Amino acid sequence: MRLVGCILLLAAALAGALVANLPSPLAVSPATAADHVPGEALGTESDSDLWRRVRQGESFTLSDPRLGAGVLVQSEGEEWRSIRNGPVSWYGGILVLVGLGATVLFALLRGQVKIEGGRSGRRIPRFTMAERSIHWFVAAVFILLAGSGLIILFGRYVILPVIGPTAFGAVASAAMQGHNLFGPLFIFGILAMLAVYAVDNIFQAADAKWIIKGGSLFGAHAPSWKYNFGEKTYFWLVVFTGLVLSATGILMEFPTLTETLQYLQLANILHGIAAVLVIALAVGHIYLGSIGVEGALEGMTAGTVDENWAREHHDLWAEDVLREIAEREKTGAGIRAPGAAE
Amino acid sequence: MTATKAVQAFVDTVDAAAASYIEACVHCGQCARACHFYETNDDPRLTPIYKLQPLVKAYKRHKAPFSGIKRALGLAPAEVTEDELNEWSELVYDTCNMCGRCTLVCPMGIDIAAMVRKVREGFVAAGIVPEGLTGAADRAINIGSPLGIKPETLRKIVNEQAQEVGIPVELDKEGADYLVILSAMEILNFYEVIGALARIFKQAGVSWTISTDAYEATNIGIQMGDKEIARTLVGRIVAAAEKLKVKYVISPECGHAYTALKWEGPNLVGRPYSFKVIHILELLDQLRREGKIRTSGMDKRRVTYHDPCQIVRRGGVVKQPRALLNAVSEGFVEMKNAGVANICCGGGGGVSSNPRAEDYRLRAFASKKKQIDDLKGIEALVTSCANCRNVIEEAIDAYGMELPVLGLTELLAEYLDEGGAGEPPKPAEA
Amino acid sequence: MILVEIIEGPLWYIAAAVFVLGALWRIIGILRLGRRTDLSVPRSAALPGALKALFRHMLPHYGFFNRTKLHVFAGYLFHLGLFAVLFFAAPHITFLEKRVLGFGWEAMPRWAFIVAAQAAFAGLILLWFRRIADPTMRQISDADDHIGSWLTFIAMLTGCLALQESNVSLRALHMLAVEVWLIYFPFSRLMHAFTFVLSRGYTGIVYGRRGITP
Repeated sequence: MRLVGCILLLAAALAGALVANLPSPLAVSPATAADHVPGEALGTESDSDLWRRVRQGESFTLSDPRLGAGVLVQSEGEEWRSIRNGPVSWYGGILVLVGLGATVLFALLRGQVKIEGGRSGRRIPRFTMAERSIHWFVAAVFILLAGSGLIILFGRYVILPVIGPTAFGAVASAAMQGHNLFGPLFIFGILAMLAVYAVDNIFQAADAKWIIKGGSLFGAHAPSWKYNFGEKTYFWLVVFTGLVLSATGILMEFPTLTETLQYLQLANILHGIAAVLVIALAVGHIYLGSIGVEGALEGMTAGTVDENWAREHHDLWAEDVLREIAEREKTGAGIRAPGAAE
Repeated sequence: MTATKAVQAFVDTVDAAAASYIEACVHCGQCARACHFYETNDDPRLTPIYKLQPLVKAYKRHKAPFSGIKRALGLAPAEVTEDELNEWSELVYDTCNMCGRCTLVCPMGIDIAAMVRKVREGFVAAGIVPEGLTGAADRAINIGSPLGIKPETLRKIVNEQAQEVGIPVELDKEGADYLVILSAMEILNFYEVIGALARIFKQAGVSWTISTDAYEATNIGIQMGDKEIARTLVGRIVAAAEKLKVKYVISPECGHAYTALKWEGPNLVGRPYSFKVIHILELLDQLRREGKIRTSGMDKRRVTYHDPCQIVRRGGVVKQPRALLNAVSEGFVEMKNAGVANICCGGGGGVSSNPRAEDYRLRAFASKKKQIDDLKGIEALVTSCANCRNVIEEAIDAYGMELPVLGLTELLAEYLDEGGAGEPPKPAEA
Repeated sequence: MILVEIIEGPLWYIAAAVFVLGALWRIIGILRLGRRTDLSVPRSAALPGALKALFRHMLPHYGFFNRTKLHVFAGYLFHLGLFAVLFFAAPHITFLEKRVLGFGWEAMPRWAFIVAAQAAFAGLILLWFRRIADPTMRQISDADDHIGSWLTFIAMLTGCLALQESNVSLRALHMLAVEVWLIYFPFSRLMHAFTFVLSRGYTGIVYGRRGITP
């Protein structure tokens, strides 16, 4: 890829040099006229040599300082563009489709993971109001950001050919504005999520057993505390990609934070990579958390889960909770508010 | 047909204030956080605003602006059914004391407690009222007291008290300054308050009497939501007071009595009174400030005060009990949320007269218990409502607690500085 | 484009008329029900009571704040953010000046506009999820609550999408969403924006006469 890129740059440079040497129909530029390049350049240097120096990012003193940075052309920009419109778009798109495909495949092959023992009818608290609020806040913002982000990244390939440039202009503008507004909310959300969920997502010994048994997704009963190994891995991946997205996002929304243009380019690339990764994973998460596993969604909406569901998917956690409830009823401690454990 | 009567009553009872309440509710659920029934049960149906649903539906279907169009378009709520009324009976009568904490917390300032009272009017029209309340109402109308205390019983008890404290108590005395009315619970259970009043008023030089025509302060009609009964009961007191030409009627240590007589009474009978209404605590505090009653000694126990809802939050008598208690108690500490936001004992609003609600009532006491427990080492609970006293004593038993409950007036009388020896007892004049 | 013309023309007038007339009809309808004079002897004045209630009730007092934290926080985040955006964002002031009032006022800086919008979104998202997650909220919520929440959200979202302020279709979409919201408003619970004054006021009067600030 890089070789092709370099060749393209060179071709462009040569073409540029050619153009510069053609006589202008309107006026004769001082440089060609007097064989003299204004500014610092010596008249004896060939234009193509000068152009090469310009293209390699050399810094010049400008006749009018108001024109801005002394670096006239930043070649890495072309690299960045190629990477972004090349591998990132291509493989990123594949990754998203793979995520989608894998989920669909799993759904078709495994079907809904039912509660084996059937519903017990008894409910135990699983997620507090704080946990649920934060989750759904992040989820809502994530959907908005993922949707607008996918348009920003892939829109020109997928949507533009269908609706044409005028309409796509509106769509792209809308996506950009929405993405930029909701971005900072995501940062708050991820940090809050870290604060509230981290402690229950530390890896424990039981997680190793869970992997070995292939997780309860494949039939065998696997041990788990409040979150199983799969869920914990997902959490940390989301946190990691979320932090990358946040940092790179901040840089892109406030570009004056850095003077090095290359950091912005890098930020853009990393943002895209992290995004497609987390989106691919999120598809699976959303499926499993909603229709993929019977009895899962209610935990995150109402805050309580069926006792059998708890025993089957998170047995060690379920035992703890049931023990605590029994103790509380014995001592008649406190006043219980309806809904999840507060 | 039952439902139709209820719906008609619902619609009739909605005025501009009630309508604005219904139109302002945003279903935010904050009222639940203030309700001790909600807090002590795993049941979101106990959210205060949910209790109003039959009334709200009837209003939105028949009286609300745009209700006509909405009905035509099928967008108005369905007609209230008898099944619904029966289902709601528990929410409206068993799990609401009309205590008013929900009113305090509502961001829109909706007086949910008053609205529950309005809902009850519909239930009364439909005849869906718990037996405990209808029985009490019968006795109140026909005998003169919801607990069935006849005038003879009253005389006997007053006589005994007069003997015990050595001060004559004149019944039906025309021209007395103050007419004392008592709650049934006081006459039956906590009758020492009569002796206490006798002693205090003697020292203060207050002329007072009790009427054998109207000695009952509680108003079951108000608790039930029956305007007619409420009007009749208040009317008796007004008639007696005007017949005896008293200047003031003293509302006793009873929660709903004060609201009934002072705040709702004139509207029920349709005219202002020719006498003033004063709460016993207001009067006692006034006498204390004027130096007309003197106390000596202080109670050394660590005590706290339970604010009866209808006297404090919905009555406005907040400072006086504290001033009085501070005058005779060294160890008085306030519980959390004391004052206007204090938690109900669980027995108001007719709940204590409703045996069907006993479980709920006792469970709700857990909120009050927590307030007391949090203070650590409370040796006695002081309050100024006989119903609260009774309810709290029952709950204390049920929870296996050991805690004496004291009436404020009686406590004050204990520390009265009477100086000379009591006079020889004389029988009460008939 | 004809659609855009309708949205910016006749539909705007219709929506505005329905909003103003509908809201007035509803408020007047409530007030006309009247209220019997209270014959009881007040302990203190009624009107100051009403005013005190109006303002005091803005924050849960008497120790209730602890139990209502999430709702108060999210509620104010949303309402203050939306209020700031509605009345102090430059494009809205321009609109009000040109099409409603004939005069404008100082707008807040763009960064404040964005932050206010973010606050409004954050608050609304938190509020709506509270409504579907809390068992009490599930018990007492109805369709009106959800439709009101979503119409508000869509109006805000379309506004956000049009932030570049350079595309006629995006602006028209926002305007359409707002028009639907305005038409829905007087028939729904969104009217609480006006009725809260009445409800707080009446309770303030009743309790003010008793000497209590509710």
